[in-house]
This record gives sequence, C-alpha cells and structure tokens, in this order.
Amino acid sequence: MSSSEDLVLSVKGLTTNFYTYEGIVKALDSVELSLRRGDTMGIVGETGCGKSVTAKCILRLIEPPGRIDGGQILFSDRDPKTGETNEIDILQLAPEEMLTIRGNKIAIVFQDPATYPNPVFRIGAQIAEVVSLHQDLGREVLEIRIRELEDSVKNSSSAEHQAKVREQIEHYVSMLENPPKPDKKYARKAAWAKAVDMLRLVRMPSPEQVANQYPHELSGGMRQRALIAMALACNPSILICDEATTALDVTVQAQVLNLLNELKKDIGASIMIITHDLGVVAETCNWVMVMYAGTTVESTSTKELFEHPVHPYTIGLITAIPKLHENKERLDQIQGTVPNLINPPTGCRFHPRCAFATEICSRERPSLEEVRPGHYVACHNPQGNV
Amino acid sequence: MKLRDFILRRIILAVPVVFGVLTITWFLSYVVGNPVAMFITERTSPAAIPGIIREHGFDQPLVIQYFLYLRSLLIGDWGTSYSTGGDRPVLEIIARKFPATIELAIVAMIFAVVLGIPLGILSATRKDKPADHVTRVFSLAGVSMPIFWFALMLKYVFFYQFSVWGLPYLPNGDRIDNELWKAVLNNGVGYDYTTSITGFVLVDSLLYGQPFLFWNAVLHLIMPGFCLGYLTLAIVTRMMRSSMLEVMKEDYITLARSKGLTERIVVYRHALRNALIPTVTVIGLAFGGLMTGAVLTETIFNWPGLGRWATGAILASDMAAINGFVLLVALVFVSANLIVDLAYGTLDPRIRFG
Repeated sequence: MSSSEDLVLSVKGLTTNFYTYEGIVKALDSVELSLRRGDTMGIVGETGCGKSVTAKCILRLIEPPGRIDGGQILFSDRDPKTGETNEIDILQLAPEEMLTIRGNKIAIVFQDPATYPNPVFRIGAQIAEVVSLHQDLGREVLEIRIRELEDSVKNSSSAEHQAKVREQIEHYVSMLENPPKPDKKYARKAAWAKAVDMLRLVRMPSPEQVANQYPHELSGGMRQRALIAMALACNPSILICDEATTALDVTVQAQVLNLLNELKKDIGASIMIITHDLGVVAETCNWVMVMYAGTTVESTSTKELFEHPVHPYTIGLITAIPKLHENKERLDQIQGTVPNLINPPTGCRFHPRCAFATEICSRERPSLEEVRPGHYVACHNPQGNV
Repeated sequence: MKLRDFILRRIILAVPVVFGVLTITWFLSYVVGNPVAMFITERTSPAAIPGIIREHGFDQPLVIQYFLYLRSLLIGDWGTSYSTGGDRPVLEIIARKFPATIELAIVAMIFAVVLGIPLGILSATRKDKPADHVTRVFSLAGVSMPIFWFALMLKYVFFYQFSVWGLPYLPNGDRIDNELWKAVLNNGVGYDYTTSITGFVLVDSLLYGQPFLFWNAVLHLIMPGFCLGYLTLAIVTRMMRSSMLEVMKEDYITLARSKGLTERIVVYRHALRNALIPTVTVIGLAFGGLMTGAVLTETIFNWPGLGRWATGAILASDMAAINGFVLLVALVFVSANLIVDLAYGTLDPRIRFG
C-alpha cells in the first residue's frame, strides 16, 4: 500500500497487551492495517485472534487490564467543506480530543444487539444523544422554526399577522448560511427529528413509532438497525462493524448485510467489517485482511484472496469452507489449536500448525511483504502462485 | 388506566399478606404466655382472677376469641393497651407515637440515600483507589458497629466533648427543647400530642411560624437520624458500589463510551439509572426495618416513638399493643414494597405494568 493511495486509516505496529493475573496476554503484536477511503474492508480470523481488540484500539476503548503498548493509528480526517485532509495519530490524542472522534468521525456497531442498547432509554433518545453531542444543529433548528412559521401563515386569516410572520421567516432564511447557536428546546427537537431520519435511512419500518420504543420492544434485527443508525448519525468517516451480524439469524444477517451494501453509496464512509465468516467478506468487502493470533498475516483485495491465497493459514481457511457439491465424511480443518497468547510461539505465530514451516519460521518473525501487486503477506514460505 | 389497575391489584394482593401476619402473631401471642398474667399484680386476690378471665373473654374458645379479634379490627378497634398507663386504645397511642418514629425514619432514610448513593458511585468509579478504601471502611463500620455503642459514642463526642470544648454541640436527646418551645410559644405543656398539629415536630414548628424552633428540631434530629440511618447508609453504599461495578461492565456502557460521551455522562446518565434498580429494593426493605429497628435509637435519644412503646409492650406481654404494632409494621412493609415496585417501573421500562 503505497503512500500515494488515499488512506483514511493506517495502523502501524499496533501492539496491545492485557496484564492479567495469569500473565501478560500479548493480544496484538505489530498489527498492520490500511483502509482506503471509500473501501469496505473485512478483517477475518478465528475467535480470539485480536479482531475486536484491534477495533477497540482504533477507538481507544481498551479498558484496564488492557493497554496499548506501541504503534501508530493514523487517521486522516478530511474536512467535508474544504476537502483538506489532516492526519492525526489517534494514540497521541488527549482523552478530551478522543471524545470528538468517537461516535463522530469513527463509529462502531457492536456484535450483540441484545446487550448493546441501553435498556432504560428510548431508541430515539439514544440516537438523538449522539447527534446533539457532536452536531451543532443550528441550521436544523432554523429549518424547524421556518416550517412552524410557514404553518402558522397557512392557518392565519389576518393579513397583517401573515406579513409579520413572513418577515420573520425572511429573517430566519437570511441566517441559514451562518446559523446562531440553537436554544436547547429546539435543539432537542431537531436531534429527535434527525434520529427519526436516521431510522428511516436504515429502512426501519415506522421510524417515528420505533424512536419512541425501548430496546426490549424491538426484535434483534431491528435493534441492530437502530445501532447502525446510531453509528451513522454523525456521518462518520469510518464505520467499524464488529461482528455486527454474528448474533443475528441468517435471514436477518442477510438483510443487515444488504443494508450495509446499500448504505455504502449514501453515506460515503469507509467501512471495516470484522467477522469470522468468509461468506460475509465475499458479499460485502472489496479488501480483506486476515489476522492470526494477534498478527496480520495477509492483506489483499477480496477477489485476489479467494483466487490466490498465499499464506498457509489463509489457504487453510478457504479450504475449510464446505462446498455444496462435495460429499464428505469429515470437513477440512486446520490442524492444531489457537495458541495461548500468554506464551505465543516464537517467530511466526502460525508455525506450530503450519505444514510448510521451516527452521526460520520458529526463529524469525516474517514481515509483511508485497508478493504480488496489491497482495501483502507475512510468511517465510508463501504458497501458491507468487 | 394501567397504573391504577396495577396499584389496585397490589392492594388486593396485600390483603392476604396482612391477614396472614395478624393471624400468626395473634396465635403466637397466646402460645408464648398466659394472657391473664398481664392483669394480675401482687395485690390481685386469687378470687378476682375468674372475673378478669370472663371480663376479657379469655374463657371463650380460642377460635371464637380469634374471630372476635378480627371483628373488632374490622370496626376499627385495635384493642386497649394496658401496659403503658392510662389504659388507652392502641390505635390512639399509635396515632400519637407513629409520627415521631416516621419522622426519625425519614431523616435516617435521607442520610442513607443522600450519602449512600453518591458514596457508592464514588467507591465504584474509583475502585481500589484511596477514596474506595475509605468508603469501604466507612460502610463496613456501619454494618458491624452495635447501634447502642455508636449512639453513645456520638453523644460522647458531639454532646459532651463539644460542650466541654466550648463548641456548638448537638442536643443530648428529645425531639425538641421543651423549655424553648414553652418560652417561644408561651404555653406551659411543651411539645407533646396536645400541642402538636400534625405530630411531626419539623412541620409543626413551621406551621406555628417559628423557624427558630424548626432549627432546634433539626439539631435534635441529626444525631438520632444519623445513628439510625448509618446501618442503612452502609448497606446502600455497598449495594450501590457493587451494582455500579456490575453495570459498568455491561455492553451498553461500552456503547455509550463509543459514542464519545464524557465519563461523567456515561456514569451518571447511562450507568446510574440501571444501577439504581437493585439499590431501590434494598432501600424499600430498609425503610420497613427503620420503622421497627428504632428501639435502641429511640431509647438512647429519649425519642417518644413507637419502638420504645412496642418494646415495653412486649416485656409486659401486652397482647393488644403487640398485635397492633405488628399489624402496623406489616402495613408499612406492604406499602414500602408497593412504592418500590412503582419506582422499578419508572426506572426500568422493561418492568412497566401492562
């Protein structure tokens, strides 16, 4: 990934450890990741390989005993008006500055729609909360007031009153370009209206009603839509979906994936989809990164990955996908088990399970190299057509 | 109206509970002793005993006596208390003494809630930091200290030592300074049921338009109120701490953080309301306990409340008084539970009544 490419996010050497009583869990070890503007990227790997930890690191949501011990997370923030980009290292930001990134520039949708919405607040209020937190709403408030005045003109019979109100409307219209700070009551109204709009955007049936409902009154799929609406409410530059469809049944999963595919065009956000399901990747992503035991092992376009997997682990993953036309007694699997990250294998973390491992693999950590154009792999013995 | 139906249903369900309580206590009070004994002193002649038995209906079969008791309850006659002087109707004594106990219990509750909830939050959000350790020691002391000892220590420091040091000290006991009441209002009796309007000394002093007396009553309430409330305060603090720690691990807190909310809003808006649900249960049950557990506090602070009266009644095996007191406590518990259930509904939409 050369620097000339328009990267919205570039993670370099990200290292995160969890300091537990049993020992230091080396959850992430020099993770490399690049997300191009407008791309949909998939991060795949087994449970416990560090996908979600990576997502949480990007938002700096790692809680003790976890700690980010090294690396850079470069976020290139583009001003929508001027088009200027401004690169910042998320790990260097002060906690207060981080608050303006979370939910605003980078938003996340979590795995389990049953436990993530706060059970005691209305759906609309939870979306409106993030809207009023990050958006000024001055313009929206003026628009609401203008609409109210227009209604009163229609309902009024007195010509004098109409003229007066029209004058007021003109005054408000003149302020639209440079709106003043809205008063609280109207700002709340505007935030709520925006929440309903967001619910409509995620194809929620009867959004006005849903906004007034509590999470327990909605189905899992609807709740996940509401969480997506919440994440998209501030037009983030990056949307992270952390196993966003895993807890849903297959039909609802398909609906949510379709929704994400459709929204991709409307929202202009770069999307990062974290999943352990290669099917989800094939359906939604144009770029894939494969993770194994807290390291990046392969990163390339989706088409390339499925056609020419190079890393032995990736090859194993793809062979393990059952095929409809085959009739097998036993499904293919990768031998061995996921390593314990308190004492990870030396060198390449995959080498104890790798059929192609040589002496160097246990000694030296392979670096991420471009083996074919646009195809990066961290392996001493890349397989396939290189 | 859903809410009205809910309350009605709960009141109807409370009837068997209260009925069960009064049945059990009534029969128990016959098991533990001979009811006639209460009317017999050293000077009673043996010949008078059959007369006493007949007069109070003790010669009737137990079941008949029980139904007679139920009938008199229904017509508002809770019997007569013989142990407390003057042979007064139980209901009248309760009406006079209940406000003093309620007032004390409310003040104790205010201490418990107003200090306990913030302390619990502080302890949870600063887990394993000095503030947490101090709070935990404070609440551990609250659950482990005997109330009579604590009351005496409070009196020793804030009444005795403060007056020795010449500092403004807190009153030793009583609901209000009677001499002050007489002087200010120019009546000879002082504060008792004949001069009170509502029975609540704080309210009465204001109704008489005397802020000075009100302040005096407040000073009188501080020590007994805190003393009685300390145990509840300790329990509320610990409960709040543990439920807050529990809630802070929930996924919706991660979601709230991922929205970019400040830690303050995450704690006070998103976590607090969820964490309050178990705490409210404890508070409701504790309120019932405060009403009845006030015996020691009332005795040490010379507080003319129900606790002291009930202890006296138990020691004198004054059946009508004991049964009346237990019935009242049952009613207080049932109402406290109803209020807790209503509070649940406001806090948690999942338990709204439908």
